[in-house]
Amino acid sequence: MFRDITIGQYYKADSFVHKLDPRIKILLTLWFIVIIFICKTFFSLALMILLVTVSIAFSKVPFKMFLKSLKPIIPIIIFTCIINMLYIKNGDVLLEFWKIKITSEGLNTALFMTIRIITLIVCSSILTYTTVPTMLTDAIERLLSPLKVFHIEVHTLAMMMTLALRFIPTLIEEIERITNAQKARGANFESGKLIQKIKAMIPVLIPLFVSAFSRAYELAFAMSCRCYRGGEGRTRMKQMKLSYKDLIAVFVFVLTTAGVILFNIYLKSFSF
Amino acid sequence: MSVVLETRDLSYIYSKGTAYEVAAIENINLKIEKGELVGVIGHTGSGKSTLIEHFNGILNPTKGTVLLDGKDIWEDKTKIRNVRFKVGVCFQYPEYQLFEETVYKDIAFGPRNMKMSEDEIDKTIKKVIKFVGLNESYLDKSPFDLSGGEKRRVAIAGVMAMNPEVLVLDEPSAGLDPRGRNMILSLIKNYQKETGCTVIVVSHSMEDISKISDKIIVMNKSKLAFYDTVKNVFSHAEELSEMGLNIPEITKLFLMFKEKGFDVKTDIFTIEEAKNELLKLLGKGGLQCSGT
Repeated sequence: MFRDITIGQYYKADSFVHKLDPRIKILLTLWFIVIIFICKTFFSLALMILLVTVSIAFSKVPFKMFLKSLKPIIPIIIFTCIINMLYIKNGDVLLEFWKIKITSEGLNTALFMTIRIITLIVCSSILTYTTVPTMLTDAIERLLSPLKVFHIEVHTLAMMMTLALRFIPTLIEEIERITNAQKARGANFESGKLIQKIKAMIPVLIPLFVSAFSRAYELAFAMSCRCYRGGEGRTRMKQMKLSYKDLIAVFVFVLTTAGVILFNIYLKSFSF
Repeated sequence: MSVVLETRDLSYIYSKGTAYEVAAIENINLKIEKGELVGVIGHTGSGKSTLIEHFNGILNPTKGTVLLDGKDIWEDKTKIRNVRFKVGVCFQYPEYQLFEETVYKDIAFGPRNMKMSEDEIDKTIKKVIKFVGLNESYLDKSPFDLSGGEKRRVAIAGVMAMNPEVLVLDEPSAGLDPRGRNMILSLIKNYQKETGCTVIVVSHSMEDISKISDKIIVMNKSKLAFYDTVKNVFSHAEELSEMGLNIPEITKLFLMFKEKGFDVKTDIFTIEEAKNELLKLLGKGGLQCSGT
């Protein structure tokens, strides 16, 4: 029952986007989020959609996967749509009945917001689909390394994140195993009231904590056996190097941003 | 003898409908008779564990049925817990399932779920703690203070305490030292003899299995390869070694004797049996020994 949860949703493929430096990918994703909020006209939005579509094409991740990642946020999209349509009263009235008035501007805004949310989610999905979780934390560590000036232990934080990600599947397996063992002794997880259901989890949670703690001790021991002593002076097996591909990606983003700003200024009057 | 557990065309497919579809077991037909001790052996990934997870309804078969006392265990989904009380399964490394403050309370978990009366629970616990070779002084200890082998035995006692008709143990001796292994095995054999309970033991060690089992189930590549008495299974020595399974060294030796023309039995699995058989052979004057 716990198998369906996917945390790292990496999609293995050999593509242009996969090969980009993870640091650049994170920065570009942030950049994308900023521009999507700068967009003021449908023309600039269209440009962003084009950028997302091209990125998907170059990532070799099947389109189906993105639809899957959009599924959980459908309620949020519908909610924003309704709120926008009901509360914006400016513009021409398109439909009016009882106390509800739907205006052209309301419809416009609703559509605008929907596209914004969808592109936002799809864009961040491209990042997680094309980057291994450990590479992501690694890249975050590098990007945050200037914070060392303020005595923040960036390496420790990143290592903690990596370890947490690494142990999620292990713990899921463990939960499944303990649940089965307790089921075999007649534990009842399915029926009963809420309180009873919570109580029924105790025989699973206690062994889980016990084994998680012993795993943590063992891991700490194994790490110190291999002379791990934090980030100081630590070198890396996988060096992150910028390549011409990253340059191309950045260049594309610069062009798109320029396009968005131009459209914002000159095509404003064409707004619906 | 009556059949207690039966499987008909039992198949199970993991991640059905996805690209990762794997058949863990295919068309398994078995009849396990009451009171027997059956060993299940097979290579890692041969489907042993998947098979036993069907015996108490942890897994629901993709195809086929499991019958307990002639009744399909999935006939009434809401009664699956009753099946779990009748078929007690102790999974691999059961020491990780301990959670209570005292050994007593932990062993009582199963019986309490069965709604046994406190008197009965008390009696049962005192009985099973002896079955696993521990004494009553352990009952007030915390299970987390025990040694690995002791924890394992407490966990097994927790399943025995449900008085199951069929006791299934998945790799009960895994990760223990030779002394611990022998101890667990003889406890299991003893339990079967004293209670008359049907016992199924999964292992990948032929030596362990052959010492205690009446019959052996050999699993190979998710299919049932053999299901027969220990002696008959070992007569397929070559096929077994092709499956990556080895018959015990001692049995191999006697098979070799037989091949050389000596009149010996080939169902020899323990040192004791080997000694007797050799003495018999020497007594007959089949071999000339110097010095005696």
